[in-house]
Amino acid sequence: MSLAELLGDALLVAGAAFFFAGTVGLLRFPDVYTRLHALAKADNLGLGLIVLGLLLHAPGWATGIKLVLIWLLALAASATVGFLIARRARRHGIAPWRAGDGE
Amino acid sequence: MNIRRATVRAVLWRGVLFALLWWALTDGRPGSWGVGGVSVALATAASLALLPPVGTCVSRIGLVRFLVFFFVQSLRGGVQVAAFALRPRPGLRPGFHDIALRLPAGLGRILLANTLSLLPGTLSVELDGDRLCLHVLDETAPTEREVRVVEDRLAHMLGLELDTTA
Repeated sequence: MSLAELLGDALLVAGAAFFFAGTVGLLRFPDVYTRLHALAKADNLGLGLIVLGLLLHAPGWATGIKLVLIWLLALAASATVGFLIARRARRHGIAPWRAGDGE
Repeated sequence: MNIRRATVRAVLWRGVLFALLWWALTDGRPGSWGVGGVSVALATAASLALLPPVGTCVSRIGLVRFLVFFFVQSLRGGVQVAAFALRPRPGLRPGFHDIALRLPAGLGRILLANTLSLLPGTLSVELDGDRLCLHVLDETAPTEREVRVVEDRLAHMLGLELDTTA
């Protein structure tokens, strides 16, 4: 196994770890807004690391471009969907959880 | 730069990008360029209708600087949220934060709102004219200063003027 493949595998594991942390955040955070934070950031970094890891395994440029494109589209979707859900929640008058409210 | 030259430049750049995209999607199969040529032309036309060239061009140094900044901040954001999630007591101090934007209306503001949602501690909640409402994970963090930094980088990248009277 080459060094690039080894580094690729390490990045895949790191990416999975961030997805795990994001999911824990989704389950543990107290309200819709903080949960969206967990999702948006975990998607961004977790998927970014996984795409980087796969790039090191990619057989050619065409595959590499497709992988980067997947990341960019997922980022745009995650930021836009997060914004829309948060805006809807606020317009419905859902108050944000404040420190001291109890968990 | 006048509008006609800007349009020619935009057609060339976008055409090249769409052709590259087609090449990647089809793995460069030579037989696919009949459909591909038509698709690239239609995609370029659609992009000109949806996002007309404005006569300023994207600064290449600005783009690279923004990307580097974005990668570093993404790393920070992911680590921060992971730390909050995995701590025995998360210790969140969330709240809303209203900010008056200096970027002009249009692409810049939308990119700013989306970028901030992916950066540490901030989530865009409402974009109304030049007011951006953010949800922050830590009220005591210097949110406004960080937003100003992102605004500067975006303005530099897109060649936009900031409204400093705001």
